[in-house]
Amino acid sequence: MNAGLRKLLGTDTLLPYWLLLPTLAFIGVFFLTPLVKAIILAFRSDSGTLTLEYFRRMVADTRFLDALKYTFLLAITIVPIQVVTALAMALLVNTGFKGSRFFLYLFALPLGISDLAAGLIWLSVFTQHGFLNSVLYHLGVIQRPIYFISYQNIGLTFLAVVVAEHWRATAIVMVILVAGLQMISKDYLEAAEVLGARGWKKIWYVILPLLKPSLQSALIIRTIFALQTFAVVLALAGDIIPVLAGEAYFWHFLYHNSHIASAYAVLLMAISIAMTWGYLRFLRSRMEVIRG
Amino acid sequence: MRRFGIIALALLVGSVMGFAAQKITWMSTQFVPIAEAEFIRNQVLAPFAEKTGIQVEFLGAEYAEFSSRIQAEYQAGKGEIAILCGLHGDLAPFAEALSDLKGTPLGGTIPEGLMKLGVIGGHQIYIPLVQATYLMVVNKKALDYLPEGADIWALTYDQLLQWAKNIYEATGEKKLGIPAGPKSLLHRFIHGYLYPSFTGYQVLAFDAGAAVKMWKFMQELWQYVNPAAPTWDAMDTPLLSEEVWIAWDHTARLKQAIIERPDDFIAIPSPAGPAGRGFITVLAGLAIPKTSPDPDAAAKLIEYLTTPEVQVKILQGVGFFPVVAEAAGAVPSGALQILAKGVSAQASSPDAIVSFIPGGISDEYKKIYKDTFFKFVIKGEPVDVKFLRQQATRLRQLYLEADAPYPAPDGS
Repeated sequence: MNAGLRKLLGTDTLLPYWLLLPTLAFIGVFFLTPLVKAIILAFRSDSGTLTLEYFRRMVADTRFLDALKYTFLLAITIVPIQVVTALAMALLVNTGFKGSRFFLYLFALPLGISDLAAGLIWLSVFTQHGFLNSVLYHLGVIQRPIYFISYQNIGLTFLAVVVAEHWRATAIVMVILVAGLQMISKDYLEAAEVLGARGWKKIWYVILPLLKPSLQSALIIRTIFALQTFAVVLALAGDIIPVLAGEAYFWHFLYHNSHIASAYAVLLMAISIAMTWGYLRFLRSRMEVIRG
Repeated sequence: MRRFGIIALALLVGSVMGFAAQKITWMSTQFVPIAEAEFIRNQVLAPFAEKTGIQVEFLGAEYAEFSSRIQAEYQAGKGEIAILCGLHGDLAPFAEALSDLKGTPLGGTIPEGLMKLGVIGGHQIYIPLVQATYLMVVNKKALDYLPEGADIWALTYDQLLQWAKNIYEATGEKKLGIPAGPKSLLHRFIHGYLYPSFTGYQVLAFDAGAAVKMWKFMQELWQYVNPAAPTWDAMDTPLLSEEVWIAWDHTARLKQAIIERPDDFIAIPSPAGPAGRGFITVLAGLAIPKTSPDPDAAAKLIEYLTTPEVQVKILQGVGFFPVVAEAAGAVPSGALQILAKGVSAQASSPDAIVSFIPGGISDEYKKIYKDTFFKFVIKGEPVDVKFLRQQATRLRQLYLEADAPYPAPDGS
């Protein structure tokens, strides 16, 4: 290695960029390139002309409005419930009582299961001859099985999806919040206790405001994932509940039209960006108020 | 001088061998996977060589290779391929390059309905060899509720409705199953079974009055279909769990249920509507090119391959069903026999309307049929003629864009 290069690599200003290079290369190859390609596919026809035709057809599709509706409904329902549960789980784990590590692992267990597998697990719970119906029947609560998964009872089917998603993906929020909780200095908590803040008051006035950066990250990640929810819905609700990510998948793999599939992907991306921007703005301004 | 000697020797050996064993080449788009090709070579063609002294070289080919080879040999006026095997869609475009096989001796009886599918421009361009199809599998418990006067081997859609209704009223459960999940073959049911049965066509009458009646009938029938249907991609599992007693699907997606419990199920033909008994046949046939070097040996192979024993052997080896009526009875008991009986009964129904799977057009046609079903049947919206017309226009546009002919029954 010549002296010049060593000097270049060794300087404090450039070293971080060298270290970032592998990550940047990874993002470039596996995220940015497909992203740009998807955008091109969505806007350019096979003959090379720029067109909005694929978006027009996406919006005119008989399933589009349903897919849009259910995607938002799922995100709006799942994310708040998950954040509240994850917070409770994180606080429980963070108290450090004997055996709290056991709960940490127990809660994190679903993280290791693929979403499609999670959907199938819950399918075996909710089908006509599934575990839930068996239990209810043997307890004498019902005389004949309830159709939990049914196009005639979309509410129940939706609930089943929410339960499955909740079980599967709450752990990721919890992990982020546990990390956040552990970063809160004990001094604040001790000071709060000295000043008489206990229980709910301590959580509400001390922990939550300090946890806000972690909450923000958790919310952003969870909302984006919720918008992309697909495998669990596919496994549990099949064609009963269409979602945007599912439509993109079907257009690509069943009907072999990657243009319209890409239009769906671009729409999802636009919604995700808008949501993230919203969170950043909304949560930051609140934080400044608190700090001020 | 020495080189000349070697060539002369090679020629001599070659001609002697050629004389001793007649040798022909069979090119096929079917049985291409190695395991299947090996099965055809060792289990089907080896006994043929023993019996007749004719050596058959089996040559599996992709469609592109298959078509260019036929084309090239036809244009050259002479060829090496003695006999061909392909799906209807593989052979139909080359009608003029293929010999008329009318009167070729067969090893069994092929139903008229199947034979005439091989007739193009008045010539029998191929002889059906094997078929795959979609039909119904029924749990024997359901037979107690069969409506009066209904013949299980010649059911109508009205009787199917009454049957499912009887079961619902007696058990409180919706025991009829149609696969309507995202990866199901629901589109096949709509374009190959419902539409031809009710309107006589799969494309031409998409928005006709008969189609409106059909959708209204389906709305009624759907009341007795298990409401989890939109989550099912294959019907073997719901049949085994008894979530349904009557199910329609592709034979390959029903087979597992019968294999696991052969005593509990029977396979029956799909129902008939006002226009007839619409069903899809995926048909593979045998053809002899006009340039075949040995049409007589090829004809002998056709006779051999259409004997019930060989047809049954092919079913056991590669899962394609026999086209020969006598074969259904020759299948050893078990799951395959139950299925083969149903397939044979369906294929030889007197009111058959055979449909083919569209070829060469965008797969979006599947979505057009499924979306219409989703809107009218699953969501239960009122049957809207304007929407039907819109979908019909789009469907015909797909055929226009690809310059593809409408498949049977529309095209025939």
